[in-house]
Amino acid sequence: MMLRGLNLAIIQTAALLVPAAERAEWLAEWRAELWYVNRRATAFCLGSISDAFWMNRNAPDPRAARRFALESPVKCVTFLAALTALSFLLAFGPLGDNLAPPPRDAESQSVALAAAARDSNPPSPADLESSLPNRMAHPSTAGAPKTETPPDGDQDFPLACFSVGLVSLAVLSSVTPLRLGEYPVNRYAPTAPLRLLRWVFLAVKMALVVSMALCSAIAVAPMVPPLAGWVMFLGLFFGFRWALMDQRERCPVCLRLLSNPIRIGDPSQSFLGWYGTELVCSHGHGFLYVPGTSTSWYETQRWQYLDPTW
Amino acid sequence: MAIETKLSHTAAIILQALQAGYVYGFSVMETTGLPSGTVYPALRRLERDGLIRSSWESQAVADAGQRPPRKYYRITRAGQATLAASQKRYPLLNRLFPVPAQEKA
Repeated sequence: MMLRGLNLAIIQTAALLVPAAERAEWLAEWRAELWYVNRRATAFCLGSISDAFWMNRNAPDPRAARRFALESPVKCVTFLAALTALSFLLAFGPLGDNLAPPPRDAESQSVALAAAARDSNPPSPADLESSLPNRMAHPSTAGAPKTETPPDGDQDFPLACFSVGLVSLAVLSSVTPLRLGEYPVNRYAPTAPLRLLRWVFLAVKMALVVSMALCSAIAVAPMVPPLAGWVMFLGLFFGFRWALMDQRERCPVCLRLLSNPIRIGDPSQSFLGWYGTELVCSHGHGFLYVPGTSTSWYETQRWQYLDPTW
Repeated sequence: MAIETKLSHTAAIILQALQAGYVYGFSVMETTGLPSGTVYPALRRLERDGLIRSSWESQAVADAGQRPPRKYYRITRAGQATLAASQKRYPLLNRLFPVPAQEKA
């Protein structure tokens, strides 16, 4: 009786993940199905968590619409380019001029920039703001005489950005693997120029992420100066992370997002069999197998090309 | 032109089980040997893609059988076409499951 209570509690808890509109029917089905289970009832009920996650991810909500919008590589790049253009307008355009507060007096600004120029330590995200060029840090002072800006500030700016980029990459590599997976070159693999397209797509995404982070930092600098460096650092960190994750979930042939993820296997049986997630290209170019845990014999995700009859 | 849905191996096996007459979640699980965490999300995906449709049996039938009502899944025309394409690709799929006993159907 106690075990039955535990099993029902698992299903009830998992139901919290299910969208409210579908929760009652979802619960009714799982309770009804549990009635037939004679053995390993708890393992059966634990499966309800995967099911609830599926319901949560596939609920017809705006997130799903956004994912659909980014399915095509062209739409993905267009969306990123639009965001970059918006951040550029915020940094250099009329939008930025409207948002920016009145400029600080030239004396205090010069002191801050001079202090940054004197500092011989490697710049941190927090130091970036102090090394922003005068015109970029304060768009509304674009017309100010150039003599107000110490020249060292302009020289330090690219170095500071480069350093922040390196720091974000270093932090990223410590929290997530940078490998994209194994894509074997066999007779079903596309030609070399098509394979190169995948890397071009990744490079374009990275370039747009860098531009967006840079423009966002420049836009934030006049409003909240200490945050500028952190905005760039976090923008690069999460932008690179997203770009890698997005790249891993795309078909290497048509560059569309893969669909229909299905869990295979059971973690408790990993000694005898593989377990993880299988995704398929909706255009039939192949399957992607993502291991549940990284092992010495299945370290990263693997792509399997399908023959052209698919 | 509508793109034909591509089935993964697991989804094809589940669709074949439904075609063979195992028409509710637990019976599909028992027949295929797949865990519940695979079967139920796969059923939802197949239903979302229009390859199967679900319906609850009436309370009266369930009461007569002294059990809770079942949620039955049936293959649609699109599902049969997709399964036929999968069967051409995997000829052994047809012989994978025994025909269920009358009471299971």
